[in-house]
Amino acid sequence: MSLAIIDARQWQNRFDLESGQQMEKSNPVADMVSTVLSWNPYPGDVDEKANEWVTRTALDLVDQYEPNLVCLSYVQQFFAHRHFAHSKADWEKMCVNAMAEAQKFIEISGYTPVIVGTGGMISLKGAMDLSGIDGLAISSNWSARYCGVHQPSKDDMALIHKFMAEGKIERIVTKEEWIDLFKSEQPDIQIHQDEALMPDYLVVSNEGYTFKTMGTTLRKPVNIPENNFKVPVYTGLGKLDDLRGIKPLVRSNLIHHKIALILVEGVGKEFFPKDHSMCRNGCGWFCNEPGDSFYLTLSTGKHEPFAYPAGYRSFDRDAEITKFPFSGYMLSVPENTLALDYSGKSIAVGNRSMFMHMMFGVDISVECFARNLFNQGCLGVVHRMDKYGM
Amino acid sequence: MKCNFCEHKCDLTKGKSFCGMYKDEGGKVAELYPDKWCTYSPSRIESVPFYHAYPGSRSMIIGTAGCNFRCKYCSNSFIACQDPADVQDVMFEFSGEKLVTMAKKLGCHNIIFNVNEPAVSLPSLMRVSEYAKKEGIPMGCLTNGYTTEESTLMLAEIFSFVHVGLKGFSNAFYKKYVGVNSIDPILRNIYTLSRHCHIEIASPVIENVNDHELTEIAEFICDINPEIPWHVFRLLPEHDMKESKYPDIEKMNKALESARTYLPYIYFHNFVGSNWVNTLCPKCGAVVIKRFSLGCSGDRLDEFLAPGNVCSSCGTKIAMLGTKVGWCEKREKECV
Ligand code: SF4
Repeated sequence: MSLAIIDARQWQNRFDLESGQQMEKSNPVADMVSTVLSWNPYPGDVDEKANEWVTRTALDLVDQYEPNLVCLSYVQQFFAHRHFAHSKADWEKMCVNAMAEAQKFIEISGYTPVIVGTGGMISLKGAMDLSGIDGLAISSNWSARYCGVHQPSKDDMALIHKFMAEGKIERIVTKEEWIDLFKSEQPDIQIHQDEALMPDYLVVSNEGYTFKTMGTTLRKPVNIPENNFKVPVYTGLGKLDDLRGIKPLVRSNLIHHKIALILVEGVGKEFFPKDHSMCRNGCGWFCNEPGDSFYLTLSTGKHEPFAYPAGYRSFDRDAEITKFPFSGYMLSVPENTLALDYSGKSIAVGNRSMFMHMMFGVDISVECFARNLFNQGCLGVVHRMDKYGM
Repeated sequence: MKCNFCEHKCDLTKGKSFCGMYKDEGGKVAELYPDKWCTYSPSRIESVPFYHAYPGSRSMIIGTAGCNFRCKYCSNSFIACQDPADVQDVMFEFSGEKLVTMAKKLGCHNIIFNVNEPAVSLPSLMRVSEYAKKEGIPMGCLTNGYTTEESTLMLAEIFSFVHVGLKGFSNAFYKKYVGVNSIDPILRNIYTLSRHCHIEIASPVIENVNDHELTEIAEFICDINPEIPWHVFRLLPEHDMKESKYPDIEKMNKALESARTYLPYIYFHNFVGSNWVNTLCPKCGAVVIKRFSLGCSGDRLDEFLAPGNVCSSCGTKIAMLGTKVGWCEKREKECV
């Protein structure tokens, strides 16, 4: 049973993470997490101090729990740059500051770093309006490159091809072609959702373009991720050329090192130490955007584009199943994640909401509870009560 | 040439109106941006939050741009407080008929206007309602209630369920925090709407600003109809009030204690994990509807324990528009 501790500022409440049932029970590890939460109110996703909050909270948890593995996400610069325009100098400063926060954590804590960037961002060139098609087009708040199209008519396909002729769309692939692409590299690839709710076609935009469809945000993006087929990774633990190599590298080195796996979102190679390596991110024409497929690839060591596939008709799942109410669109704790079967102690802290308690399989996590930039406080999750005081 | 859609009664011949959504066209009030919508997405009705209308149903959420209020704490200021002219590039264009077709395509039971104020888009909404009625799709909205007597009746014609914001109980509060001089039209319109449609009322509570007005609000609601559900929202500091303190939850909840003795359906939420979102039977106190609060990211129905809208413990009728609707019910019946 995993415990969720909500901190809504000067007020906390405890729940079973999976069922959402309230839990009154007090125990030492839950009380410790409650205390850390109360020390560290979240400043807000785009607040300048949001990354400092990650460092401070992580250091507090390290002091209290003494984990061997720490997973961190620094995301303030990504959120801010996605929604607001910045001068080149200001944007560079934000990236430098995010990397400096990661460095600060390493210096104070003494952990061995593995730092991963999700790659740079680019100004939005335009959005293709597919809202009025006869079929149904679905993109998500956080995806720029991919749009799912369900049951398109001839006219719909003509419109999509028109955008393609204008240089805004890179390719149109059928569901089968999309699945086959990954099967060719990973024959046991899993489709975790109902395949019938996946789109008939995946429409892939050219760099800088995105879609206007159901599911895209009310807050217009100003900058979106580049097509980052390779992303920077900095570590002294060994050579890497694929994101999927991070899990085995971290796990094999945990015997001799205390490791901090740190994600810095929206940041490209120019802000990384010179001796970084560039790692493959995705498969063929499919690159992971900063989001669930990126985090899962990193954490499981496998391609995971179909855990929550782009363009999926998620609203047609039975919403009356109210499992994991604090975990956004995620329906279950993913398998084979980095720390799920690790016997040592592990934590995750970051401003990437539910990814912190779902994606790494750690014992304890602390994350912001912000949705669509609305700051509602923090969430602490204790997955493992048994390791406290070991 | 005056606009009569809200109590600002802007003179449209004198340049830009307050909301920026209407113009004078040959002596008639015309929309500047007809049939333009800022969103169309399926969502739980509880997330709006309607707690006593079609529980569990799938709603298509829509909105436009612009507003006739300037609330200092507006959480949708990026769309509601902008000049509508500046946000047209993010809008979707759907005729009334096409929007209703979309609601059907998405398997939605109802359509709810909830991002900004419906008074600023009444003609477009009229067109949607024409088709929605034909298709048997009920419509609901959130409104600040600052409509004129005539446009309030238009709201009642379009919408069968309405959430009215009663943000305080004094002219002083409305003047300072909302930007209008008088609360009177809002109180008048709440009464009118309560006679024509299902209503729920929402009041944001700001510690040391309007918490002393809670009892007056409760008494006002009770005088109209004690069965009106009242949602008290803990202020989420946003927009011009970003630096404000988050209200003390225990203290605000205590302030509602006396009102709970005469208003059976009081909810205190807009923060994650609230303990005060369940519906209790007014007679025996049994939990008849269990909900889960995710704050402003949306509440959800957990369990509906009142089949036929009746408390299964004592048989008391629970005030409700319609009854429980399965999330996939509409889709299974009507959609491909
Ligand atoms: S609806 Fe708009 S234009 Fe009409 S009176 Fe109100 S603020 Fe003025």
